[in-house]
Parts: sequence; structure tokens; C-alpha cells
Amino acid sequence: MNITLKVWRQKNAAAPGALVEYTVSGVVPEMSFLEMLDTLNEQLIAKGEDPLAFDSDCREGICGMCNLMIDGQAHGPDKEATTCQLHMRRYKDGDVVTVEPFRAKGFPLVKDLVVDRSAFDRIQAAGGFVSTHTGGAGEANAILIPHDMAEKAMDAASCIGCGACVAACPNASAMLFVAAKVSQYALLPQGQPEREKRVLAMREAMDKEGFGHCTNEYECEAACPKGIKLSNIARLNREFLRATLLTE
Amino acid sequence: MEANCASKRSCRIFEFLESSIGKKIMVAAAGILLCGFLVTHLAGNLLMFVGGPAFDHYAEALVHNPLLPVAELGLLALFLLHIVLSIRATLANRAARPEGYQVYKGKGARTPGSRTMAVTGLLILAFIIVHVATFKYDVGGLKGQVAGQEESLFAHVLGWFANPWYALFYVLAVGGVGFHLSHGVQSALQTFGVNHPRYTPALKRLGLAFAVLIFVGFASLPVYFGFFHKADLACCAPVEGGSK
Repeated sequence: MNITLKVWRQKNAAAPGALVEYTVSGVVPEMSFLEMLDTLNEQLIAKGEDPLAFDSDCREGICGMCNLMIDGQAHGPDKEATTCQLHMRRYKDGDVVTVEPFRAKGFPLVKDLVVDRSAFDRIQAAGGFVSTHTGGAGEANAILIPHDMAEKAMDAASCIGCGACVAACPNASAMLFVAAKVSQYALLPQGQPEREKRVLAMREAMDKEGFGHCTNEYECEAACPKGIKLSNIARLNREFLRATLLTE
Repeated sequence: MEANCASKRSCRIFEFLESSIGKKIMVAAAGILLCGFLVTHLAGNLLMFVGGPAFDHYAEALVHNPLLPVAELGLLALFLLHIVLSIRATLANRAARPEGYQVYKGKGARTPGSRTMAVTGLLILAFIIVHVATFKYDVGGLKGQVAGQEESLFAHVLGWFANPWYALFYVLAVGGVGFHLSHGVQSALQTFGVNHPRYTPALKRLGLAFAVLIFVGFASLPVYFGFFHKADLACCAPVEGGSK
């Protein structure tokens, strides 16, 4: 089938960008969205044009590297799926699809559809860790953790840091990402000693990167490929309030 | 900013108010307190259905309460806190996405209330200015036009409601309040960190019910006295520019 793409092309951060229309031929339903873009690039290279720049890595939905705004939806129309998990069977011959990069001040554009998401790394580095030498793998039952707590922490920890929450948020807020990272430690005993320090530092780093304020629009939750719940943001708010009051 | 702090503790408070999370917690807190004001205000207003004397008696008692100026100042502070922090947050949110999307659809999580918070907020602000100017400070000079009813707030309010444009504006504005609350109440709870798989769905419905009740309660007055119960107006408030 043929798919008409309106893709954001921009040489670099300083150059002006615009949507450019391409028709990709030979698209089959089994292709992933990224393989369809690969096909476009093969056709562009054959014509001697500059191929489209876009991010991807594992292509199996676990690395958080692919990040496209497809027809105004982060990672496209599917529920709890990354861009690489979106397949062309979703589309039919002659469909027109608009593809844009994730937009946020905290995610400056590098080229075409590639944005720099190292802001997330800096937020994580501000406090998203446990400062202890854990040594080799210990006895699993040495620290007892209730099952529901372990489950909640694991749910939060399943965040792959793709940035869809920021892209989908009308305010470009990174609150769901930060909430997931704060929650995964706040829920476990190993995270307790640095509980207050962590949330204060990560909140500060988040604001410094220029992300917006959460206004509880729930779009992040709807866009998250890992199904991270907004209840994590409620926990982040509680943790922040608690840390503000308790820290000496 | 640290240099301006008198102590470490005052620094923390300052940091809290400047932070993205602290700001929204303050907006939510002020919003919930303003909801309390809406309830008391509505309770007083509904006395209009009991009758002119009951409403006027209530108004008199309120005006002559020596604590009223204190309450008014507190109310003004709440409004200012809510408005100033909201506007600052909204501007920061706009700045957080300098280049917008050509196509922005989302995944259907936003509600009509959540989409229009800024618009309804500004509508409510405009309404409050008009409302306080006309009802409290008598801008437009309707007070005392009825002989023997100079002190009657009831007659004064009826006079304004007799103007269909004023009544419509009133209904539209309290509709804005309803929309604002349909998102605001549940959003404020979430901001305070209240989110529980069992209670949150019920709290959301409760917030929506509260928004509807506030709208119906406030809108009932201009609708009833402005459009259905006009007959009585001839006796107590002949109004220039009215719709007779």
C-alpha cells in the first residue's frame, strides 16, 4: 500500500522547520511504523535525498528510544505501545499520516524527528538512585517487602523514560516521569534513607529543565506505553509535601 | 534566591511556593477554600426564595457584622493567591512548549472542564468584578429607585435580574463556575495527593455533582427572578433599561 506522510523536516535546531509531504510505496501491513520510515529512507536515498532522522534502538518496546508524535498522539493511536510497536496494519492504502517530533522546551530538537531527552538523565542523576554498595546478590528474603508494595514499585519502575508523558501533556510537564522514578524508591525499604533528599532534588532538577506544571489532564497516563498511573503523581505530591515539612 | 532568605526554614517555604508542585498545591488549597465560600454564598442567596424580608434580614446581619471586613480581606487574599499563581503557572506552561504541534489530538483524557480552565477562570474573574461593582458598590445606580425600599438588597438584586442581558451574563458566568469546578475539585484532591483506587472514582463523581449543584443553585436565581417571576417586579423595582 501507499502511505502519504507529512513529516517534520528540520536541518538543525537553528534552521527553520516545516512539514514535508512524501509518499511511501510498498508498505505492507506487517511492517512496524519504524520499518515504514526505514522504507521511506531507502526510497529517499535512492533518489539522492537526505534521509529522515529519527530515533530508535531495541524496536521491541523496552528501551524508550523511539519517540514520535503520530497524528497528534504520542507513539500513535495504540494503547500502551511505543512507536516501534505500532504496525502498519493500523493504516490503509492512501492514508495521510502526520509525524512530528516530541515538543517541549526540555526536549530541544536536534534534527528532523530527533530530540535531545538528556534532561531526563539529569533529573534521574539528581536523585533517582540509592547510595549504597549493594555488593553481590543477597538473600532474597533478607528484606521483607509486602507483595502489593513490590508490585506498585515494579509498576512505577517499568517507566522506560521515553518522554511520551511530556509530549502528550498540554503543559509539557514531566511530572509522570519524575513521579514514577520517585515512587519506585519511595515504596521500597532500600529507598527510605534518601527518601526526602531524593524528591526535593528531583523536583528541583525537573523545574530547572523548564518542564511545565501538571494540571491533572490525564493525557500522560493515556499516552504512557507502560501504563504508568496518575496515582504516582499524587504520591509525588505527597512525597514532596512530606519532604518539605520533615527535612531539617 | 537563597540570599534573600532570613533562615533556612524561610528559604524552604520560598522554594516550596516557587516550585511547580508547591505552586499547584497552593492553587488547589485556595480553590478548595473558595469552594467553601461558594457554599456559604449560595446558602445566603437561596434565602431569596424564602422571601424578600428573610433575604434582606440576612444581608443586614452580614453587613453589620464587625468581622465582615476581615472575612472580605481573607477572601480577597484567597482570590489573589489562586489567580496570581494560576496565571504564573499557565504562562510557564506555555513557555514549556515554545514550538507547538501542527496536529495535537491527545488520547481523549481531557474533559471539557479541564480544557477550559483558563477561559472559565477569566470569565469568572470578569463576572466577579461586574458582580461586586453592581451588587456591592451599586455601580449603575439602581439602589434606592423604589420609594420605601432604599435599604432593600432584595429589590436591588431583582432590579438587576430584570435586565435579561444581566441575567444571561449571570447564568453564563455561573456556568463557567460549574465547568471550572467540574475539573477543579477532583484536580485539587489529586494535587493534595488524594488518589486511591477505591475512593478516587467516587470522589470524581462527587466533585462533578458539587459542580452541578453549585451551577444549578446559583443559576436558579436569575432564571427564576429574571424570567419567570417578573410579575412581582412591577410592584417593587421599576428599572430603567429593563425589558418591559
